[in-house]
Amino acid sequence: MPVMQREASDNEYLHRDFHGALSSALIYLEERFGPDAVREYLREFARAYYAPLREELAARGLPAVADRLRRVYEAEGGEVRLELSDDELLVEVAACPAVAHMRANDYAVSPMWHETIRTVNEAICEGSPWRFELLEYRDATGASRGRFSRAEEGAR
Amino acid sequence: MISCTEFIPAYSEFFRYLEERGGRDEVVRFWEYLSDNFLHNLRDLVTEHGLRGCWTYWSHTLNEEAAGFTMTLDEDAGEFSIVMHDCPSKGLLLGLEQMAPYHDYCGHCDVLYRRVLEPLGFECIADLSACDEARCSFVVRPLDR
Repeated sequence: MPVMQREASDNEYLHRDFHGALSSALIYLEERFGPDAVREYLREFARAYYAPLREELAARGLPAVADRLRRVYEAEGGEVRLELSDDELLVEVAACPAVAHMRANDYAVSPMWHETIRTVNEAICEGSPWRFELLEYRDATGASRGRFSRAEEGAR
Repeated sequence: MISCTEFIPAYSEFFRYLEERGGRDEVVRFWEYLSDNFLHNLRDLVTEHGLRGCWTYWSHTLNEEAAGFTMTLDEDAGEFSIVMHDCPSKGLLLGLEQMAPYHDYCGHCDVLYRRVLEPLGFECIADLSACDEARCSFVVRPLDR
């Protein structure tokens, strides 16, 4: 009789199929309530969940965001190119590991997947001296370029 | 990108958002949608292999999710069971200081899996009474055993 017993510490926590579940959630939300609901949900999630990161961003600036991005892409096995200066952080992703996993496993990729970058990063910057722009995004691979930069006074 | 390691808080907040938009029925409607549209792997494995398909499916997911669990397949007795003594998802949510878990977060497991397994001829018995301590159990048996 097969029995499998595991402790939480026995394995690394990395279940990439979760990307497919999040994508399904965004598809459902867009179909039921429209694209604004997707953006509203992602904004509310980001403001709540990334509250510690937002505090860190306010305290030590863009290195806080750069550190998170390095951690995330290293864990996911993806590559991110970061150019960090005092006033700007350029983020370039040649291929999104989440999109790659979904494409490889025939999960539906939400047409609004790019909002997990744009809306989430905009929400992380809210209330700080920083802003985020998504400069380029490719649906097929999730490749993207984005920029964190100083917000103008009036836009804060 | 929202990392897959950050998915569980996003999932929990998704349930909260849906409930605010459409009430509890909207949350359950989404769980049913996800079961129908996302759990093809479990459905295919159990259709082909019966209870052993449950073993194969959860052997993959529970290890990747770094769960603390005991999983048993007793094909002679006709029973598959998971005793979750350290649910990584609920444990993660309970450890967050910046947000509270959706009040019925664990309810999704019962709805998602029951909706796949019952039409295939299995009964599901979920005990969520200790889910606030990140513990639960789930038993699957053939209806005709």
